[in-house]
Amino acid sequence: MTTTTTAPQVRARLTDGITGDLGRLLPEGICRTFRVMPYAVADGVVLVATAEVDDPITRQVVEERIDRQVQLVRHTGNEISAAIDEVYPPADGQVETADERRSRVQLARMLTNSGLVTNEQLQIAMIEYSRTGDPLGDILVAHEAITEDVLVAALSEMYQMQRVGLSDFSPDLEVARRLPERLALRLQAIPVAATEDLVLLAAARPLDTDQALDVEEALGSPFRQLLANRTELDQLIQKVHSEHYAEISTVSLMESQPEASAHIVFTGGQKASAVCLGIVLLLCGIVWPMGTLVGLVAGASLIYLLVSCYKLQLTFRALGAHLETEVTDEQVLALDERTLPMYTILVPLYKEAGIVRRLVRGINELDWPRTRLDVKLLCEEDDTETIDMIKSLNLPPHFHLVVVPDSQPKTKPKACNYGLQLATGTFCVIFDAEDRPDPDELKKAYLAFQHVAPNVACVQAKLNHFNQNQNLLTAWFANEYSMHFELVLPAMGAAGSPIPLGGTSNHFITSVLRELGAWDPFNVTEDADLGIRLHRQGYRTAMIDSTTLEEANSSVPNWIRQRSRWIKGYLQTWLVHMRSPGRLLRETGPRGFISFNLTMGSAFVLLMNPIFWGLSTLYVLTQTGFIQQMFPGFVFYAASTLLFVGNFTFVYLNVAGSLQRGEFGITRTALLSPLYWGLMSWAAWKGAIQLFTNPFYWEKTEHGLDGGEHE
Amino acid sequence: MTTTQEPAGPAAVVIEDAAASHIRESQERKESLVQWVHGRAGDITRRPWENLAVFAVFTGFYIWFGYWLVVQMHVVGFETLDRLNRALMIWHNDPAKLSALGFDYPPLATLLISPLAIFPAVTSSLIAVPIASAAFAGLTMMSLNTMMRRALVVGPLRYAVLIALGLNPLFLLYAAGGARQFIWIAFLVVAMGALVAWYVTADVRYVMLAGLAFSVAALSGYASLLWFVLTAVMIGAILAKLGADGSEVEGTTIGFTVPTAYVIAIWTVFNLVLLSKPFYWITAASDAGGINPGSFTGVELFRDTVNLVLYGAPIAIVVLPVLIFMGIARSNPMALWLGVLLGAAVVSPALSVALGLTDSPMQLRNALPILLLAVVGGIWVARSADTNNTFVSAALIVLLLASIPWTFQAMKTYRYQNLESNFAAAVSTRESQEGAQTLSGATVGTRDEQATADYITANITGRNTILTDNSQTYAVMLLTGKPDLFVDRVDKSDGPWKDIARDPGRYVDYMLMSTDGNGGDDLLAQMYPDAAAGSDGRLPVIYRTDRYVLLGVPSNFDPDDTAGQPASTDGTGQ
Repeated sequence: MTTTTTAPQVRARLTDGITGDLGRLLPEGICRTFRVMPYAVADGVVLVATAEVDDPITRQVVEERIDRQVQLVRHTGNEISAAIDEVYPPADGQVETADERRSRVQLARMLTNSGLVTNEQLQIAMIEYSRTGDPLGDILVAHEAITEDVLVAALSEMYQMQRVGLSDFSPDLEVARRLPERLALRLQAIPVAATEDLVLLAAARPLDTDQALDVEEALGSPFRQLLANRTELDQLIQKVHSEHYAEISTVSLMESQPEASAHIVFTGGQKASAVCLGIVLLLCGIVWPMGTLVGLVAGASLIYLLVSCYKLQLTFRALGAHLETEVTDEQVLALDERTLPMYTILVPLYKEAGIVRRLVRGINELDWPRTRLDVKLLCEEDDTETIDMIKSLNLPPHFHLVVVPDSQPKTKPKACNYGLQLATGTFCVIFDAEDRPDPDELKKAYLAFQHVAPNVACVQAKLNHFNQNQNLLTAWFANEYSMHFELVLPAMGAAGSPIPLGGTSNHFITSVLRELGAWDPFNVTEDADLGIRLHRQGYRTAMIDSTTLEEANSSVPNWIRQRSRWIKGYLQTWLVHMRSPGRLLRETGPRGFISFNLTMGSAFVLLMNPIFWGLSTLYVLTQTGFIQQMFPGFVFYAASTLLFVGNFTFVYLNVAGSLQRGEFGITRTALLSPLYWGLMSWAAWKGAIQLFTNPFYWEKTEHGLDGGEHE
Repeated sequence: MTTTQEPAGPAAVVIEDAAASHIRESQERKESLVQWVHGRAGDITRRPWENLAVFAVFTGFYIWFGYWLVVQMHVVGFETLDRLNRALMIWHNDPAKLSALGFDYPPLATLLISPLAIFPAVTSSLIAVPIASAAFAGLTMMSLNTMMRRALVVGPLRYAVLIALGLNPLFLLYAAGGARQFIWIAFLVVAMGALVAWYVTADVRYVMLAGLAFSVAALSGYASLLWFVLTAVMIGAILAKLGADGSEVEGTTIGFTVPTAYVIAIWTVFNLVLLSKPFYWITAASDAGGINPGSFTGVELFRDTVNLVLYGAPIAIVVLPVLIFMGIARSNPMALWLGVLLGAAVVSPALSVALGLTDSPMQLRNALPILLLAVVGGIWVARSADTNNTFVSAALIVLLLASIPWTFQAMKTYRYQNLESNFAAAVSTRESQEGAQTLSGATVGTRDEQATADYITANITGRNTILTDNSQTYAVMLLTGKPDLFVDRVDKSDGPWKDIARDPGRYVDYMLMSTDGNGGDDLLAQMYPDAAAGSDGRLPVIYRTDRYVLLGVPSNFDPDDTAGQPASTDGTGQ
């Protein structure tokens, strides 16, 4: 912290030129926003040109950033602007125009003079403005210094426009739908009333000339703008177009790519193949009973061995090299926030009223300008508790409450599809309600997209757990996630294999996601399915070294429910993508085809585990000759090898994954992984059975069991 | 539509819940970690082509040299033939059986070379013998090259070190002669390389790689367990010295030890289930060849240890004290650790004798791990020497070069050895060693085995028609390339085999016995000593060499009927 001096007459002037690199003592955004420019040093005091010598905010901002004594010297605005342009040559579209500056200053004065914002709040907002260049009013609202209504009132006065309140408004759908949905979303505007000659249009902000022309052309009529609260506008737009959104979110993929939709669990071809296979096995079993059994055992053993060896191979590869897309802290710091795009965050919620506050805090802690966030809180219509909680928080407009109409299937992917239609971000990401992403995850994902190949449509962050030390189950879960996200997925990505995405923290290019058909609402592991689908269409997924922490299930029944859904989903995904094996092979290549089958084959392995363990145990205890006959010669050796290799692989991968993350404290629990494997097998059978009995049922995972405080 | 509303209240109060608290604690803990996680510290660039070139050059050289040594000079170790025969039986026995691995050797010592036996011609021609060790010698050289790159040794000096080491006669003999020692030594060096990388980069991944390498080494050569245990201790000690907390030490040590502990546990279970002796693998490990030394006194052990180092790995005499000095005086934990490992290598032969773990102690080949660990130690000394790196590297080269003739001379007369003197004779005289004697009195070469195998191949075609004790006649079986001709102890295990041996006329047409000095161990020769001598008329001699006899077994042969027919013709022989 430095102080300004009250030295007598300063002789040096900005017009004499800027000494050395002094001009870059302050960042460009600060210089332009506060109209200041350091230009000389006199007797150890840095002279800073400013038009507002008496402005306390300007003084404080300059003092905080220059680590020497400072003296503010009055200069004209034009002198200062010219000097700034010389030091920081202006880029098109990134420099505030005179009109924009006037509006900003006018708004600031209006709010401060009315006592609606404090100097401290204004300073924070202006500093953010200097970094992002976003409207000052929007920044103040985003940081909850003022409400949206206050801002609308101020804008109404500034632009001499009428305001309109929409909280209790019941729209005339015919009128409201006169403006196409895409345009309404883009401009944040909607017709609220109409006469023969005029349409009244509620808009979040005054439209510019081009926008007004677009609206008039779409309406086919002159219109008058009324300023409205963005949150109310958003709710109104949703209400007007909800039927359309609901239909698209459910049937879009099913209609555009029926072969890729899990709305049919088993196709006719698959049913026929299964029946034929069953008949063949039955006949063989009758004619060559022992031979058939041996063949089945040999086949299962081979798959088992291949899956284990594949995972070991992936691990070796991951241990030997750094496979994630590199994004350094320096690169993050150097990001020019003025260039950052809008980022949509989709957060599906169901019966999670208790963690909404924490969720909001977590999102606000993300290192991304709030004015460039488009957060969709996706709630089911019947979840009134969560909806009421969100409404009660009076969240700023970058949070959007999205109420998904109640319809089947009631799944997370359907809700995400619904929210995606409202998304305005260039990129979008899914977070779960209890997620704690790294604050700089969005910036890292954004930078990763700049560095990777053009066909990378998804960047997957790592997942792990914050309650790993809660009990043995959570430690195992953390081990497993460490193995999966530190070793297996990076190796798969580096090998160009299709990656089954994690449930959250997948960052997409929004336009590509829409082009792919978004998520399959009928698949209970929609993330895994999407990962394969995007690979088939020529896109790729990259991994970044940023971790989102989630709550690990600490209750066995809850864990079983969750895991059974995952296994069911993996089986669904395999069935969907193997409807045309030849086509899958063409689209993914031999390596991708094998990788996909071995990855999904892990679900099969879990189903086989109890059978093999049972046979082994029975044989050891009883030495039954029948069992011995099922494992002749090489089959016995292969089965023995995989028994030991498989167990070793699972244990070692969990140990290695935890070490990779630096979670040394839970490596010892990884040694007990075979017990965890047993739990997984239990859940696998539950999921496999449910595939036939209730394929689209979403086993809801209960959160908030981590023993921490919840609001 | 309504009028605008009043401004709302301030934002909610921030609460740090248990999750946020955990996240904060986790971040604080990770900042205190000694090792790198979540990324890579500065390290050398990967050079896969250079690695491949080093591997290919040395492997190729040792195969070429080994072909000359084994196939032309006939300097061939029978232990390698035994392992290759077991590998052959895995694929081509009747029935093919993985249990042919047996328990006499560490399982990977045979399993890792089993691909060489897929095509019998490769093994029966003996070209497989040098390949069985050359590939692992190439792996060793590749690891050493990477280690030297990490130690900042410049290219020309690196290659000079490798060449000087590669031409060391002891190294040359065992790299080209199919010795199983090179299998576990290769993985030991790989593990050393990973641990040096760990120390240099602090990247925890290398500890895991080292652990995996040790697990393979453990089942390739049980002797490596000594260094595994010492390394596990030293990892913990180094981390503790560098300020790591208890969980980091524990977790890292677990990550290192899990693979080896697991494979040893599994192998012990196998021994228990199949032999009812869980630790049979410790007591039954075979080190065939060499003089039975009788008993040693402490002074003799000390003297022989000095001789072993002096003649087999003289650079250790320089490197070991330097490492200890650096480790203690300059607080260089890695140097101290390498010094401990090298010291363990020096004393382990004597320890083996003292503990009764070997029947052929103080063999010159025990200097191999000493030599290699001394080279690893020398590399570390070079790295630690900073600006004197080049000088130290050059000194290492000079020492290695000087040891070549020194060790070569010693190989001619060193008391405890296998084929070293014959190797030296072959290299010196360029004359085949077929029929020559080793210093222990064994006969070098495979003339008798080859002749017997040729006869069998030319005259016998029926499967399972020749009863034999494969533990003594493995070389003949290998050279036929047709283990399915034989009814051996692997086919149905010892019990049924002995039943057949008691009444062979019902099952086989021939019996093959070893009649060499060691033929006293041939179970068939013990059961039918007269037949082995050729004086049992009931079992006519079909073919005989100095070391083997092939007998005919009539279908009406009754072992209990001692009133036999007159002795038949002696059959053709050498």
